[in-house]
Amino acid sequence: MFFVTFLRRELWRRRKQAVVIALGLAVGIGLVITVTAAAAGVRAAQASVLRSLYGVGTDVTVTTKPAVASPGSRTRVTIGPGGSQVCHGNSCHHGATKLDNLVSASYGPMPASDVDSIRALHGVTGAAGGLTLTDTQISIPASVASGGTLPQPRFISVDGTDLTHPGLGPLSAGRITRGRNLAASDAHADVAVVDANYATANKLKPGGKITIGKVRFTIVGIVTQPQGASPPNAYIPLARAQALARSDQNEKLTGQVNTVYVAAASAAVVPAVAKEISRLMPRATVTTSASLASQVTGSLSSTAKLADDLGRWLSVLVLATAVAVASLLTVAAVTRRVREFGTLKALGWRSTRIIAQVMGESLVLGLAGGAAGVGLGYAGAAIITRVAPRLSATLATPAAQHFFSSATGPGGVSGTSPGGSSAAAHSVTVPMSAPVSLAVIAAAVVLALAGGLIAGSFGSWRIAQLRPATALARVE
Amino acid sequence: MYTLTGVSKTFQKGRQMIPAVRDVSLRIGDGEWLTIQGRTGHGKTTLLQLLGGLDRPDSGAVEFGGQDLARLREAQLTRVRARSIGFIFQTFNLVPTLPAVDNVEAALIPLRLGSRDRRRRVARALESVGLADRARHLPAELSGGQQQRVAIARSLVKDPKVLLADEPTGNLDEGTRDEIITLLEKLSAERGLTIVLVTHDSAIARRSPRVAVMDGGRLTPS
Repeated sequence: MFFVTFLRRELWRRRKQAVVIALGLAVGIGLVITVTAAAAGVRAAQASVLRSLYGVGTDVTVTTKPAVASPGSRTRVTIGPGGSQVCHGNSCHHGATKLDNLVSASYGPMPASDVDSIRALHGVTGAAGGLTLTDTQISIPASVASGGTLPQPRFISVDGTDLTHPGLGPLSAGRITRGRNLAASDAHADVAVVDANYATANKLKPGGKITIGKVRFTIVGIVTQPQGASPPNAYIPLARAQALARSDQNEKLTGQVNTVYVAAASAAVVPAVAKEISRLMPRATVTTSASLASQVTGSLSSTAKLADDLGRWLSVLVLATAVAVASLLTVAAVTRRVREFGTLKALGWRSTRIIAQVMGESLVLGLAGGAAGVGLGYAGAAIITRVAPRLSATLATPAAQHFFSSATGPGGVSGTSPGGSSAAAHSVTVPMSAPVSLAVIAAAVVLALAGGLIAGSFGSWRIAQLRPATALARVE
Repeated sequence: MYTLTGVSKTFQKGRQMIPAVRDVSLRIGDGEWLTIQGRTGHGKTTLLQLLGGLDRPDSGAVEFGGQDLARLREAQLTRVRARSIGFIFQTFNLVPTLPAVDNVEAALIPLRLGSRDRRRRVARALESVGLADRARHLPAELSGGQQQRVAIARSLVKDPKVLLADEPTGNLDEGTRDEIITLLEKLSAERGLTIVLVTHDSAIARRSPRVAVMDGGRLTPS
């Protein structure tokens, strides 16, 4: 009780100084918490960008670049006043026709056995293959008068989903809001799940039909993907996608996939898994959250850099300054109390007892600063979550559809389907949040106590050096 | 109680060596009251500090209760001060943030007594100096004389063998000075206390049964 009484009264006596010390520590701790929360929010946003592209549970994705398509492998369309012509290879059809081509243009094909090879690697807990496809539909009229309106193609992005691994792939991130999801028993059925936004725009609903690759699929469910995602318009069973789709070389895709979604045992082994896959498949493009993050541009990327670099160093600097100020003020307080401590030594107090008193005062200030800092940190994180704008993330993807190129031929236009694989940008917007975790709060409290201890240790060193006779001779 | 043999203490100020105590030999018996008189700067306080184990002599022996304080380790010196030696200072040296009762209790903390025992002894000590009704007053709320009485209570609460007083009335007016000396005389008689009092004041020295004079660091009986 004497310890507490002495401590309490001493802190009250120099309360202004105590407030300065506690506030300094509070600002430092608050900044550490806010920056850590912001960094966590940015990491979560980056993870959601990856999730929006590849689905929940995916740590690594594997793709290959598509081969350069030979001109003869494509469907060539020529429309003019003289009539329309659709040619494939040396075979041409004249007159009106409907095209519906389901093609893998973004990525090159890989045998499905590669998925098994990847699944067998150390550190891999799951792997699933999929097909990222584009269905191009266009009605070619018999002819178009010069200056007339060209038909516009309709593109449907389609994901061929492996139904034996529902936890991997783009569909795994979504939530079925109407109807049902695809099941393993649907592996060879003409059924589809449609994205909620696409369904609304095209007035589709469960029980309705959607034509993909010339086949009428029955819609069994509507899926809503996380905010900010750019999901495929439709999901069909992988086996049906393999049967209907063609590569950029117009080759069948039976037994092929063009994307492998990989789950690792833990975040720590992801780099090692990525390395193993690269060794297994030297020509593949292996993407992880970290590598994806480095490719992302936009305000999400800038914010990540800000939180990581400037934010971290700023918070360390502020905290170090606070501890330095606290230490100086503690030493100054001890110096002012030299005669008091000399008297206590004369009364028979050991140095360790006096040091314990001073350390107790510093620890209390550290705790007070830590508590206030946690409050400031929460407030800072709440402000970020409330006022932060949505962050944009742009990622270059090898997907583009050019159907009609510049006019050629007498009074007409021509195009090829599908178009080349020039780079395009995939942009998503994600909300910025700043979650404060218990681990961060615990770390902040430890930091505050450490700050108090460091400050107290400087004062304690002064006390340990104190000679009673010298202390008592001091004139105040 | 005390046997000093050839005790010397020198301080260094820059390049200059200043002898504060020169070859002092002295015996102080149990229950004796010795006043050491002398002008300021002649080594009185230094000698008192050597008697209290607050400093160590450069040469000689300071025997207290059979132990040479000059040869004890710091922890042992601290224990001796805690149990056996009471101090009174010219400037009272009370802890400004603690009320009288806690200032007196501070002297009992090193003895590791139970809180009830401490409170009982503190109450008795304050009563013996006539300040039982000022127990909760802070030093700033007490007069100079009252503060010195609290300091006396603090020095006596642990029942020391010796009381070392360094100019205890130096900061007090004449009337209060007499009050304090009278109080010390009373307590000394009641407890058989050994007192060593340092002063430059002749009026106080005259009230002491034994006086020695400190001049230029040397001690001579008056």
